[in-house]
Amino acid sequence: MTEPTAKKKPAPRKAATRKRAPAAKKATAARKPARKTPSVKPVSVLIVGAGFAGLGMAIRLKQAGINDFVILERGNAVGGTWRDNQYPGAACDIPSNLYSYSFAPNPDWSRSFSGSQEILGYIHHLVAEFDLEKHIRFEQNVAELSFDDKTGVWTATTDKKAVFAGRAAVMAQGPLSNCSFPAITGIDDFQGHKIHSARWDHDYDFSGKRVAVIGTGASGIQIIPELVKTAAHVKVFQRTPGWVLPRPDFATPAWNKALFRKLPASQQAMRNLLYWTHESMALAVIWNSPLTRIAERVARLHLRRQVKDRWLRRQLTPDFTIGCKRVLVSNDYYPALQKDNAKLITWPIARISEKGVRTVEGIEHQVDCIVFATGFDVSHSGTPFPVKGRGGRVLGDEWQGGAQAYKSINVSGYPNLFMTFGPNSGPGHNSALVYMESQLDYAVKGINKILQDNLKMLDVKEYVQRRHNKEMQKRLARTNWNSGCKSWYLTEDGFNATMYPGFATQYAAQMAEFEERDYETV
Amino acid sequence: MASIDLDKMLTKIKSTQWALSDIDWDAPGAELITDEQWPKLKEFMADLMWIEHVGARAFAALAKKAPDDTLRQIYTYFHAEEQRHANAEMALMKRWGMLEGDEIPEPNINLRIVIEWLDRFADEMPLYVLGTVVPMLEIALDGALCTFLLDTVKDPVCHQAFERINDDESRHLGVGFTVMEMQGRGKTFIGATKMLAPLMDPRLILGIASYAPLLNKMRDNVIAMGLPEEKLYKAMKKFERIGGRTEDGRRNPWFQIIKYHGRFVTNRSQKVYHVPVDGLVKLTNMVPRRALPAVPSWVKELTWQPTATH
Repeated sequence: MTEPTAKKKPAPRKAATRKRAPAAKKATAARKPARKTPSVKPVSVLIVGAGFAGLGMAIRLKQAGINDFVILERGNAVGGTWRDNQYPGAACDIPSNLYSYSFAPNPDWSRSFSGSQEILGYIHHLVAEFDLEKHIRFEQNVAELSFDDKTGVWTATTDKKAVFAGRAAVMAQGPLSNCSFPAITGIDDFQGHKIHSARWDHDYDFSGKRVAVIGTGASGIQIIPELVKTAAHVKVFQRTPGWVLPRPDFATPAWNKALFRKLPASQQAMRNLLYWTHESMALAVIWNSPLTRIAERVARLHLRRQVKDRWLRRQLTPDFTIGCKRVLVSNDYYPALQKDNAKLITWPIARISEKGVRTVEGIEHQVDCIVFATGFDVSHSGTPFPVKGRGGRVLGDEWQGGAQAYKSINVSGYPNLFMTFGPNSGPGHNSALVYMESQLDYAVKGINKILQDNLKMLDVKEYVQRRHNKEMQKRLARTNWNSGCKSWYLTEDGFNATMYPGFATQYAAQMAEFEERDYETV
Repeated sequence: MASIDLDKMLTKIKSTQWALSDIDWDAPGAELITDEQWPKLKEFMADLMWIEHVGARAFAALAKKAPDDTLRQIYTYFHAEEQRHANAEMALMKRWGMLEGDEIPEPNINLRIVIEWLDRFADEMPLYVLGTVVPMLEIALDGALCTFLLDTVKDPVCHQAFERINDDESRHLGVGFTVMEMQGRGKTFIGATKMLAPLMDPRLILGIASYAPLLNKMRDNVIAMGLPEEKLYKAMKKFERIGGRTEDGRRNPWFQIIKYHGRFVTNRSQKVYHVPVDGLVKLTNMVPRRALPAVPSWVKELTWQPTATH
């Protein structure tokens, strides 16, 4: 999982429950009353989540001639991460021509790195163009997913006890969809206003306010330059500085849009160029190579060029290998920190008090509002809701030592279940949507097999999954992610259940073949 | 003081933080400072505050060199805690009317040189060099000076502040000696010799050239204040006693160097050491402040105000 800007923090997740999206009041599509009844007629495919993944899955199913599917969405609108992350300055850190579906190109991207609003617009466009709205059931917050061995049907039960059934299920709820305030002592004592970056409060007026921003990851560095424009004072509390690379962000000229529209091959060529440029970054970001040193050098030069003060530069210089944590891209973060009304604070936070943030150097930094840019609750060892497979086995229990799957998409013991951004599918260097496309096409192959052969179960063999994970972990041990820093990629114990240790091209190759012999079929 | 479990220590550090606003700086007692004490105390406090501050910067350098995440976090906290001590000592100075407006007291020239050295070279020094020098500075200067201060000053707020500061310092020393022992553990002759290699590093030689006169200068200053010389020496002996209590500690060559250096410092009749170093003190006194570059920006982080509102 990459791009959706805001991310960080490993955030150990204990409860396997999802949080509702805010203000989900009214469904905009037909609501299935569906009282709990065991005889709900199963659709071919149940999809959980109407973000990029769920909608992409729906499009690919349609294109494969499968129209009998339902998308369950807990919110009242589509868009997932991009619906939720609408903080000021929110944007994608992968170029838009690569952070979009190749099967649904958009010639009209306004910038090389589009903002969150425009990406959300693209998602809405997907829904309209592929006529997906009728498949979506809004405000259906899945509380449990369970498989019936006898019938070979997955049943999704929502928190309001509505029941949906499908012969196959796709978990597309997204890895970066849940967020919570961090566990800082005294957080509930704070009398001022609290905002989480992924649940932005658009009604709060920052002008003249003293603001603390906690967190300097992908979201933080986008929010801060915007806040310093309006707030009276912005104090930025940093735990660990990240590597920041310059962002080659340009407005797209009109002739370029016209060219893409008239000659779609030119846009494909641009996409290919961006793809291979990002692929080459893997050599710097995923493994420790001479290119890693070059990337670090570029980041250091960027820092040196933008920050003249030696101590501030020291505070902003990371002490881990580039790539170990998410690489950041920004042109305006460092200048924003040096504005008269901004200050970087690197003292550890002791606690949050009634009036502000107390740091270990003994000072209470009093503010009107605290912005938590502290990322998402990434689940490394649980599932967002209970998932019950063959014989009632519970996936969260099996994943306690770290999540594992076969090719990131299937888990043995959970037949006919497909995951987008499952274990070890995350890229650190390329577009998440490139990875996503491989997953969607693989799922279509699996689902086709189930439907065409009228299978009750398509279940990956346990030893095949074990062999795959042994290989994954062996390869991960040699990557920068496992080189010693703490990041949201790893569990507290340092187990990497998140990232794919290789090029996007390798991942695509892994997903290209659907090997029937790897599966038990009933 | 036995070797400590650093993970438990980190948890303890995190759970026992205090802030300047925990102390009522306007409580009665400031009047207990006598007119006679006041001018000397002002200089003394300024020196003490700056020592805390350079100690803070040394911990920042140690954090960069820490071999694991636990120690890195501990040093990051210690960096901030030393800064807190400097801030609290400035708050005392403010209470006693020793600061004018927002002014930060001027560091003496030897401290100023040490600040410059720390800013330029501290991050390049191996863990075992600063990891040995810092406990010595803490035990000798902090320990002796703080005890002396509490013996002399009757203001209850001062006692209240130093009770907290001393609690922190005892943890700093506990970790300091544990790390010294870790560094000496299982060291063969060759390993120990390798640890001495930085002695040939000109940056370290410069460091020694700024550290040695600082000690002598401080000795002169505290004696001028009325601190019995023996108290300082007794504190320095404590370094030798605790640091050398285990085989591992004794095997750390930097412990040996600092120990012998401590002996030189405390032996006034050791002319070979004191004549040139006192000469250096005199020499550095002649360095015009203008000749030194602007103070690094980390110095400007100091504040006596318990709350920052903008």
